[in-house]
Amino acid sequence: MDAMRENVFRKSSLAIRWGEAQKGEDRMKHDTSYQHWEGAHLGIWRRRAVIAANGLRSCLQVKWMRYLITLCWAGCLVQVTLLFCLGQLLIADSVVVQWLGNLNPQLQAIARALVGWLEQHPEISVRTTYNLLFYFFSANLLTFTLIAIALAMPHLITRDLSSNAIIVYSSKAIGRFDYLLGKVMTLYGLMTLTWLGPVCVAWFLGNLLSTNWHFFWHSRVALGHALVYALCSMTILSVLALGISAISVRAKATVSIWIAFWVLGNALVPIGLHTKPWLKFFSFSFDLEQISLAIFRLKNDFDLATTNIPFFGDMLRGLRRQANSVLQTPEPGAAIWGLAVMLALAALIVWRKVKPE
Amino acid sequence: MVSFALQDSSAGLTMPPRMSAPIIETTNLTKRYGRQNALDNVTLSVFPGAIGLLGPNGAGKSTFMKCLLQLQPITSGSARLLGREVGHEGREIRKRVGYTPEQDCHIPGMVGCEYVTYCAQLCGLPFQTARQRAHEMLDFVGMGQERYRKIDTYSTGMKQRLKLAQAIVHDPEIVFLDEPTNGLDPKGQTQILELVQSLWRQHGISVILSSHLLHDVDRICEQIIIIARGRVLVHDSLKNLKARRRGAAEIVVASRQGELIEACRRNTWPCELLPNGRVRVEHRSDNLNPVLQLMQGIKLAPLEVIPSPNALEEMFVQALATSDQA
Repeated sequence: MDAMRENVFRKSSLAIRWGEAQKGEDRMKHDTSYQHWEGAHLGIWRRRAVIAANGLRSCLQVKWMRYLITLCWAGCLVQVTLLFCLGQLLIADSVVVQWLGNLNPQLQAIARALVGWLEQHPEISVRTTYNLLFYFFSANLLTFTLIAIALAMPHLITRDLSSNAIIVYSSKAIGRFDYLLGKVMTLYGLMTLTWLGPVCVAWFLGNLLSTNWHFFWHSRVALGHALVYALCSMTILSVLALGISAISVRAKATVSIWIAFWVLGNALVPIGLHTKPWLKFFSFSFDLEQISLAIFRLKNDFDLATTNIPFFGDMLRGLRRQANSVLQTPEPGAAIWGLAVMLALAALIVWRKVKPE
Repeated sequence: MVSFALQDSSAGLTMPPRMSAPIIETTNLTKRYGRQNALDNVTLSVFPGAIGLLGPNGAGKSTFMKCLLQLQPITSGSARLLGREVGHEGREIRKRVGYTPEQDCHIPGMVGCEYVTYCAQLCGLPFQTARQRAHEMLDFVGMGQERYRKIDTYSTGMKQRLKLAQAIVHDPEIVFLDEPTNGLDPKGQTQILELVQSLWRQHGISVILSSHLLHDVDRICEQIIIIARGRVLVHDSLKNLKARRRGAAEIVVASRQGELIEACRRNTWPCELLPNGRVRVEHRSDNLNPVLQLMQGIKLAPLEVIPSPNALEEMFVQALATSDQA
């Protein structure tokens, strides 16, 4: 019976397909006249958005890219969980505090110290804790974003240069600047999925699940820091990525150059520390880290926590004695100069390479 | 500097032209690559129609098109396309212009209809309209279900059709075609040329066809521009060019070719029997009357008389020879 039903279904689906094919052939035979079009053209921003959407669509067709984006959003859920736990500390007999006590009495003592601090200075404590969490969250998302850019590299300019699609773009109602802006918007879209989106959603959901609505207000500075850092980094990374994407017409070459640029740059940091200090500023990830330290002002938060939180402060004092890079004094000026040189080079490459011929 | 201006170019139209003003105007247009002149002081005024851009390889045909489309910057001189200054109003100009480059230029991984839709959107068409027009244009160029396949799998003929579809999807006023029949078999060439011909004759879209294949240009163009070494050697209507080369004809007769040849030789007209059975006669006259009178004299009825055969080819060769001597 089932076999018969399946046979009938197969026959009917074949009939439908055959019917579609017939329709297609009929259309070919009869509907071949040319019609003039007299509608209104869309504005230039819509055309740029079309380029961006197409670029993003082709990036998302890469399987590993989809996995990576999923990973970023999983990180967002972890961040939400941490923020939820932080909110739970305000309730003395909350599940989190009890669970920590069961796990380790020392952890419960830390939690109680945090609770005391949170209750005493909510405006400072929430801001500081959120600031720390968003700093580490942003640093992790930056790594994922750099991997995402490596995967997206062929879909930016490389492929258009190798397939001569750049000629088609140039012959349409868009200029070179519009094309590049479209590609920057592609990268912005991608980085929104891997970075900006998870940050915003984590902040919103974390506060939504907190025990007090005032968390929204007190954590605004942390969100502001995270947004400023993310937007600055997205702009810088977009230009750098476009520059490297335009270097070669071979996809493997541009991906390799991007990874080498990232890894070798990181290798320059320890070399610079022992030889020429300016060398370390040729690492864009180091420069971005310096900018993030300047934006988040972690040192202030650590000082505040050290002096204000009983017990937890002692632990932080011990941490400060170690040479922790997080607590070093940032050098944003030199980092900006380093990035400016790299951006100028990237812009030069793009300007020289992105031509119809 | 060579300068030509064509005044009457609407002959042979079955529908009125969409514009009467020149579509292309150039003044001392020059393009240099290093020390080499790709275009040398080109001054032209081209009116709407089907225009053939002829020249040997490396003559400057493609450069001329690219300069007009702003794909290449102009070294000196000025150009106007559709009444707008090239170099200042690029976006507005390209909104009204279509272009099929000589080489493949598709976006890898895209399917045919998606690609044409995307090109229409780049020209400012809303998505729904773009998709509808993309299908219409793919129908127009004769692409069937293969439009749903990835372009990477297309044959040369399909790619040429797709290029034509993307060039006309936004309903341009002029379409520039750079060697559109390259790599096509004779049947494919005929189909593409018929489509191109219909663009001007039936739909009023001016066509600038760049080719080194004289037959293609002879078949569909009404105006001819011959370029060599970056200079415009000839710019005139095909009708006028053929009139300049009058004095020869090919005669098709059912039989008695030998008698016809003898009669011609008695009149001291050089003639020969061609491999296709036609008799080629150089009658040195402005019209065909002497030939017809001669045939009447020997009571031989022609099946067909082709005046000025290969006129374009001869004109082309002569123009190139003159250019070489200069």
